Amino acid sequence: MDKAEQILAALGGADNIVEIEPCATRLRTEVHDSSKVDEKALKAAGAFGVISSGQVVQVVVGPEADTIATDIEDLM
Amino acid sequence: MTQLDVLSPVPGRVIELAEVPDPVFAQALVGPGLAVDPVRTGPVTAVAPVAGRLVKLHPHAFVLQTDDGAGVLTHLGIDTVQLAGEGFELHVAEGDVVAAGDAVVTWDPAAVATSGRSPVVPVIALEATPSDLDGLRPAGPAEAGDVLFTWAR
Repeated sequence: MDKAEQILAALGGADNIVEIEPCATRLRTEVHDSSKVDEKALKAAGAFGVISSGQVVQVVVGPEADTIATDIEDLM
Repeated sequence: MTQLDVLSPVPGRVIELAEVPDPVFAQALVGPGLAVDPVRTGPVTAVAPVAGRLVKLHPHAFVLQTDDGAGVLTHLGIDTVQLAGEGFELHVAEGDVVAAGDAVVTWDPAAVATSGRSPVVPVIALEATPSDLDGLRPAGPAEAGDVLFTWAR
């Protein structure tokens, strides 16, 4: 799996994503069910960190965030 | 080994990253650095903190990559992605090569503050480790172009 596929899977798959939006350093993601988010798998996929607050999960991936978000949207 | 001086992109007051009201920057998740709380006296032109190519350019944030591959992120305010470029005037295009101190974006920190967001500007040595940075400028006033820290490469 490439990085976008790994991140999407670790976020609980396309069905769990309400919205995904890139920022300069991170993917801002809103999920339906935050219990389906696997932080360890996100870090294994290359995330520098994961910041969760309720249904909003910020996956810190660095400046490649916009490219990864486009790749994830292509997979959804 | 080379020493890369990283300059303040804006005039204001230097603060530690830990004081930035955003956990990604405060915890240095994308790298160590410093932040500048910009002056609130009207429009400010943010300048390039290092010489290099603009590998990423958003209205509210940009990444410069130096010839030897160092990446420096300048982020103009916190959560400013939500402004969708409103109030940010770009002077360059993604892919351009600039000198340290060249104008990159004009914006208004006071207007960002009025919108309820912090206009603090983190300047990050991407994927560096804290021990790579030397001579971190202590908290206090700085002009655009003053050295914030030196990155040992």
